[in-house]
Amino acid sequence: MTIYESDLPGVGKKYEVELEDGERLVIVTHNTGKREIYKKIEEDADSEKVFELSDRLARKIGTILEGAYFQPVQSERVETMLTDETFIEWYNLDPASELVGQTIAEAQIRERTGVSIVAIQRGEEVLAAPDPETTLAADDTLVVVGDRDDCRDFETLIGGDGGR
Amino acid sequence: MAAETHLVDVGALFAVAAVAGLLASRIDQSVIPFYIVAGMLSGPYVLGTVDIPALLGIDVLPHGETLALDGQSEFIHLGAELGIVFLLFFLGLEFNLERLLAARHRIGKAGSVDLAVNFGAGLLLGFVLFESLLAALLVAGVVYISSSAIITKSLIDLGWIANDEANPMLGTLVYEDLFIAIYLAVVSALVLGGGDVGEALGSIGVAIGFILALLILVQFGTAWFQRSLETDSNEFLVLRALGILVLIAGAALALGVSEAVAAFFVGMAFSATDHVHDLEQLLEPVRDVFAAIFFFWIGLETNPQLFAGVAGLIAVAVIVTTPTKLLSGYLGGRIYDLDERRSLRVGLGMTTRGEFSLIIASIAVAGAGGAIAEPVATRIYAFTVGYVLVMSILGTTFMQYADRIEAVLVPRLEARSGAVSSGD
Repeated sequence: MTIYESDLPGVGKKYEVELEDGERLVIVTHNTGKREIYKKIEEDADSEKVFELSDRLARKIGTILEGAYFQPVQSERVETMLTDETFIEWYNLDPASELVGQTIAEAQIRERTGVSIVAIQRGEEVLAAPDPETTLAADDTLVVVGDRDDCRDFETLIGGDGGR
Repeated sequence: MAAETHLVDVGALFAVAAVAGLLASRIDQSVIPFYIVAGMLSGPYVLGTVDIPALLGIDVLPHGETLALDGQSEFIHLGAELGIVFLLFFLGLEFNLERLLAARHRIGKAGSVDLAVNFGAGLLLGFVLFESLLAALLVAGVVYISSSAIITKSLIDLGWIANDEANPMLGTLVYEDLFIAIYLAVVSALVLGGGDVGEALGSIGVAIGFILALLILVQFGTAWFQRSLETDSNEFLVLRALGILVLIAGAALALGVSEAVAAFFVGMAFSATDHVHDLEQLLEPVRDVFAAIFFFWIGLETNPQLFAGVAGLIAVAVIVTTPTKLLSGYLGGRIYDLDERRSLRVGLGMTTRGEFSLIIASIAVAGAGGAIAEPVATRIYAFTVGYVLVMSILGTTFMQYADRIEAVLVPRLEARSGAVSSGD
C-alpha cells in the first residue's frame, strides 16, 4: 500500500492512496478542515470529485472506517505496531475460553505469556488499565501489549481459533 | 477634490461590489476584474460625468458628480491599503520556509525558469514601451507575478487541486511570492525615494534594514508571537492580530518602507505559531472585504478614457506575455515530470495575473511626480489595470476550457517531442 503525500501551499495537504485495481483515491485536506475526496481511474487520469466533508463529518466517517464501532472480521487479529518489536493487539474472548470468569491475577496472564492487558472493551464501556482483580467476561475484547511471540502465546492461551 | 465620505457612500460601495461579485459568480469568472470594473463605473470618470437630470429630464436624481464615489476619499483609500496589507499577510501566513526548502530542488528550478522567462520578457517589454529603466522594472513585476488568489481558487473549483498539475503551480506561486516580497521592498524604495540615486540608495538601505529587523523578529520572536495570541476568545485574537499586523505595517509605511512587505513578514512570523488555522478562519472574511475595497479603489482611480491611449501597449503585452507564461509553465510541468497535457495545463493556469500586479501599479502612482514622471506613472497605471483585466479573464477562461485547448495542442506537442502518448 503506497500513500503519496504532498503539500499544497495555501490550500492544505494532499494524500494519494493506491487502491488494489490501479485506481487511486485522492484526499485533499484543506487548511479550513474541509476534506475533498477524489477518484482517479488510473495514475494519469484526471481526478473526479466524489464528495466533500466537513471536518467533523470526516472524523466521524474516518472512525467508522477504522472499525471503532464494528469490526467485521472479529477472529482476525487487528495488529498495530508500536515499534518493530512491540504490538498492540485486540482479542475477542471466546465464551468457551477457560479464562472466562477468572480474574487477570488468577489467569496468570503476564506470567504465562508475557503480555499485559492494557484495556478491556466490554460492550459500550472501556475499562482502561484493568487491575489484577478484574474478572474476564465472555465476549470481552482484550487489548494487550507484547512482542510477537508473547501475543502468539496469549492467543493460544485464550483458546478461540488459536486452538489448544 | 472633496475627500469627505458619508456613510451612504460606503454603503453604495459595498452594494455595488456585492452586485459585481454576484455577476461574476453567475458566469463563473473571477471576481477581481468585476470589482475593478464596478469601481470604474461608480467612479468620477464614468458616473461622475453623467448628467442624470438632463438625461431623465426630471430633477429626481442629482448630477452624477454628487453620486460618484471618490478614490481620494480617506475611508476608501485606507480600506484599499488595508486590503493590500491583508493580502500580503495571508501570503506570509501560508508561506513556510521549511516547506520551500524541503522542495527547493524542484520549486527552485521551476520558479527560476518562470522568473527568467517572464521577468526577463517584462524588462524588455517595459523598456521598449516606456523607455525608462524604472518603468521597465515596474512592468517586469506586473507581467511576472501570477495571481495566487485567482489561480488557487480556480484549482479548487475545477478539481485540479487533486491532480498532479497542482504541485508545480502552487510551488511556482510560492517562489513568486517570496520574490515579490523582496521586489516590492526594493521597488517601493526606488519609486518612493525620489529620483535621486543617493536618496534611493538611502531608502533601499532603510528598507533592507527594516526587513532584516523583521526577519530577526520572525526568527527569534516566534515564542512571543505564539504567546501574544494565547486566548480563548475570538474577539481578542482578532483584535490582537490586527493590533500587531496593522501597527507594524503602518510603522513601516511611516518609515518609507512598503507596508505590504512588512505585512508579509508579520504573516511569516505567525506562520510558525499554532494560531495559523484560527487566524486564517477568523481573518479570511476580513481580508476578502478589504481586498474587495482595494480592487474597487483601483477601479475608482482608473480613467477608462486612458485605456484608449494604452490599448496598443496592453495588446502588445498580452501578445508577448501570454506565450511566455505558457512556455514557463509548460517547462515547470516538465521539471515536475508531468506529461505534455498536464504541463500545458500548468502553463494555461499560470497566465492569470491579478492582485499583485495591481499592488505594483499602486506603487507607481504613489511615486508619480517623484522618481517617475507624472504622465508615465499614469500610463503605467492605466496599462496595468487594463492588462490585469484582460489577463485575469483570459487566464480563468483558459483554465475552464483547458480540455478543448488540450485537444488541439497536445497532439502537436507530443508529435514534436516524439513522446509516446500514454493514452487517456
